[in-house]
Amino acid sequence: MTEIDRTLRSIVKEFKMPSISHDSSVANAIIEMTDKEAYALLVPRKDKHDAYGIITKRDIIYKVIAEGKDPKEVKVSQIMSKPLVILTNLDLDIRWVAKAMADSKVSVIAVFDRGDFYGFATSKVILEAIYYLEKRHKLDDEPLYVSC
Amino acid sequence: MELRDLCGGPPAVILNKESTVMDAIAAMVENKTRCVVIDREDTGDAYGLLTITDIIEDVIARGLEPLKLKAADIESKPLIASNNLDLGVRWVAKKMANEEVSQLAIFEGEDLKCIVSDVDILKAFAKKLKGKDSSEEEEK
Repeated sequence: MTEIDRTLRSIVKEFKMPSISHDSSVANAIIEMTDKEAYALLVPRKDKHDAYGIITKRDIIYKVIAEGKDPKEVKVSQIMSKPLVILTNLDLDIRWVAKAMADSKVSVIAVFDRGDFYGFATSKVILEAIYYLEKRHKLDDEPLYVSC
Repeated sequence: MELRDLCGGPPAVILNKESTVMDAIAAMVENKTRCVVIDREDTGDAYGLLTITDIIEDVIARGLEPLKLKAADIESKPLIASNNLDLGVRWVAKKMANEEVSQLAIFEGEDLKCIVSDVDILKAFAKKLKGKDSSEEEEK
């Protein structure tokens, strides 16, 4: 039986996130999200002193639609979250990734490997990781019958 | 746009009271949904809702074992519900923001009709925004 890998490195499956410019409208962000079925968009920085931002479905529902504002009038830069919540230790156990999410009340964490951008950990990939680990655990426990 | 227009999605996944958290995780991954409904015992009982965030924050972040924990121990109960199908989308979104949730249970009379999530609202808006763009192009 092989050692089961529960580290952050093994669960990150998304290495790219669709992005949107900070001065485009929220209406564009809504269309981009539903087209790509990715409900978080990265907002690139202007220069190296600036921070990356992120806009999620939660920002749009809570800050634009619930307030009765017109998505065409509101800009992404007005409602985005900035700077990102990040993790840099790729050997971190899933449990502590989940704890970092719970503490900062977010569902997407950007992962950096020694200063370079690595990928994203979302609540969905954590759940999938737990599901597949459990499935593999079951396979490992059952006796193996090989039919010829 | 009203609440009625948002109820087009697939029916809610309902698990019984004895399910473990692992059953809930499997149901979510296999059905590609972010929440499951926990059934009630009788008419005096309330439905419960278990979301992906509940599992991350209350089980995995605390290092608990999903196989040993019952879904009923961490569910949100009773549901945050609405039964006015004529409610405008803006107030549906406002209710989500007030309660700090992403899903609302919609009842029609006594029955659970569907679960409306923030994704449903975004999709409805995208449809409306796109619809306008295409009609403008046709006019030109």
